[in-house]
Amino acid sequence: MRRARRPVFLSLARIRFPVGSIASIGHRISGVMLACALPFAPFALERSLSGEAGYSAMLEAARSPLGRVVAVLVAWACAQHLLAGVRHLLSDVGVGASLGAARASAFAVLIAAACVAFAAAFLP
Amino acid sequence: MRIFSGQRAFVAQRLSALVLLAAAAAAALRLAFGVAPGFERWQAWAAGAPGSVILLVVAGALVIHAWVGLRDVVLDYVHVAALRLSLLAAAALGLAALGAWTLLIVARHALSHIAV
Repeated sequence: MRRARRPVFLSLARIRFPVGSIASIGHRISGVMLACALPFAPFALERSLSGEAGYSAMLEAARSPLGRVVAVLVAWACAQHLLAGVRHLLSDVGVGASLGAARASAFAVLIAAACVAFAAAFLP
Repeated sequence: MRIFSGQRAFVAQRLSALVLLAAAAAAALRLAFGVAPGFERWQAWAAGAPGSVILLVVAGALVIHAWVGLRDVVLDYVHVAALRLSLLAAAALGLAALGAWTLLIVARHALSHIAV
C-alpha cells in the first residue's frame, strides 16, 4: 500500500480562506493591534487627569487628522475584536456553532466592524 | 508557569473578556448618546471610589487579557526558542509596567482629591 503523498507544500493560492477563518484571523490581527496601542492608554489617562489643559490637549489630539486616522483604526480593531470575541464565546457555549450559522455570523462580524470604523470617522 | 497557561489561562481570558465587554459597552453607549463629560466631571469621577475602582478593574482585565492573547500568538507563530522567550519576557514586563503605571496614576489622582 502506497502512502498518499501528503501536501507538504504551502501554497497561498491553494489554502482556502473561508469567511470564518477571515473573521478568526481578523480577531488575532485586531488583538495584536490593540496590544500595540496599549502603552498610549496610561499616557492619555495621565494627561487627561493632569488638568484642564491636558484634558483639552487629549480631546484635540483625538480630533486632529492623525487622531481621526488612529481613532478609525482603533475603532475597527475594538469592534472586530469584541464582536468576533462574542462570536467565539457564544460558540463556546454552543450558540451558532452549526456551519451555516457560523458563516453567517462571521460575515455579520466583518460587516459590523467595518460599519463601526466608518462611524468612528464622524465622532464629534 | 502553570498559573499563566492551560485551563486557567483559558478561564482568565474569558472572564477578563466579559469585564472588558461590559466596559466597552458602557463606553460605546456614552460615546453614542452623550457628549464629552468635560474635565471637571471626568476628574471627579476618576477620583471617586466607584470611578477609580472601575478604572483599576478594567486596567487589570486589560493586562490579563493582553497577556493571554499575546502569549497565544507568540507560541503559535514564533518557534525559535530564544526569540520566543525574549518576546514573552518583553510582553510580560511591558504589561506589568503598564499595569503598575496605571495603578500609580489612578491612586495618586484619587489620593490628591481626598478632602482634608
